[in-house]
Amino acid sequence: MNLEEMIPPYLAGQLTPTEKARFEAELSGNAALRAEVEHLREFWEALDTLPKEQPSAAMRARFYQKLNELTKTPQPKAPGWFSKWNLRPIQQFGLGLVLFTMGIFVGHAVDSSRVSLQIAQLHDEVRSMRQTVALSLLDRQSANARLEGVSWGSQVERPDREVSTALLTALNHDANVNVRLSSVDALEGLAGDPAIRSALVDSIPTQESPLVQIALIDALVQIHDTAASVELVKISRDPAYNPNVRQRAGWGIQKLQ
Amino acid sequence: METQTDSFVMQLVQIGETARLADLFERYHVPLFRYLLHLTGNHAVSEDLVQEVFFRVLKYSRSYDPDQSFAVWLYQMARNAHFDHMRKRRGEVPEEDAREMRSSQPMPEELFARKQDTLFLRKALQQLPEEKRDVLVLSRFQNLRYEEIARILECEVGTVKVRVYRALKQLRETFCELRGEKAL
Repeated sequence: MNLEEMIPPYLAGQLTPTEKARFEAELSGNAALRAEVEHLREFWEALDTLPKEQPSAAMRARFYQKLNELTKTPQPKAPGWFSKWNLRPIQQFGLGLVLFTMGIFVGHAVDSSRVSLQIAQLHDEVRSMRQTVALSLLDRQSANARLEGVSWGSQVERPDREVSTALLTALNHDANVNVRLSSVDALEGLAGDPAIRSALVDSIPTQESPLVQIALIDALVQIHDTAASVELVKISRDPAYNPNVRQRAGWGIQKLQ
Repeated sequence: METQTDSFVMQLVQIGETARLADLFERYHVPLFRYLLHLTGNHAVSEDLVQEVFFRVLKYSRSYDPDQSFAVWLYQMARNAHFDHMRKRRGEVPEEDAREMRSSQPMPEELFARKQDTLFLRKALQQLPEEKRDVLVLSRFQNLRYEEIARILECEVGTVKVRVYRALKQLRETFCELRGEKAL
């Protein structure tokens, strides 16, 4: 970072003491930098003259009205499969392509005895496409893209080992807690595989976020993995865990009995 | 009485105490409104987006990690809501804000000059590319640390510093152009 780029954090008082000392030492012997700081300071302070806008009273009233409605009525359940049809353009394009291809296949094969075979092939192609998209998105830098990758991964029927491994990697190593939470949901759907069930249990002690730990316990209860009880007993007795996690583990033990 | 932390209140919301969302609304709705107003330039749209953000907080409460800053999570949510709004409105005529500062009242010369400068400053801010306006508003008006802004924008702290400097320089240049001066 060059010296000029340190001017805004200097003006905002956001340089570390070391950075500030270094910058001020430079400032004392650099007239051009001093002039730039003074000029930008004037401008930086002028930004304070912008009016401090206030939201209207009506906005507050609308918020409380809606909040009251929500607290009086039960919370809506998590979106079901149908709401997932609110797709992004890339997904719309992919889906459109799949439906178009499916239409051509079905049109050509409708009188043929090979219809079911071709549909099965198409099904495999869709499955393969979903796997490719999921793997590609899970490898992206943006957390939103990885979240989408988990979502695609959860839509793959009988995913290859590569996809389930990518989901497990997301669960255990992704830096973003939302991605880890979504991976729990996606992997819950693959719990027919004993290796996945075991990986879910093993993941609990490695997680830093109590939320993810609780989500994992909930998933194990949901799939009724009685083998997880031993680990849950350990967690419920281990003071190193967050109290909410220990409490949830206790609840899980009861549910699995 | 000791104020409960944002994280604590948010955990109450997570376990179903929906009414506690009001505490967070009271703490954040004004700064959030101002942030969104700088992004949209429109009062009505900004108010709608504030509502949208708070009900997204409720909808996605489970994804909040109590170990993370609530403000960072909230501003990420606000940016997403704004992004979704812009995407829906793409190709439409930009919204006019009826409250834009206009006055036909005669006023003393100095006051007039000050009002003009404020108007130019607002215009210059609105003319900044969205990415630069966003980072400048977060750093100048929202009292957020550079580390927090970096988490909101999902980039390095060094990148935030560079972007703020460039945004400030461009703002100054545009302001000077609007005033008919040459930037230094």
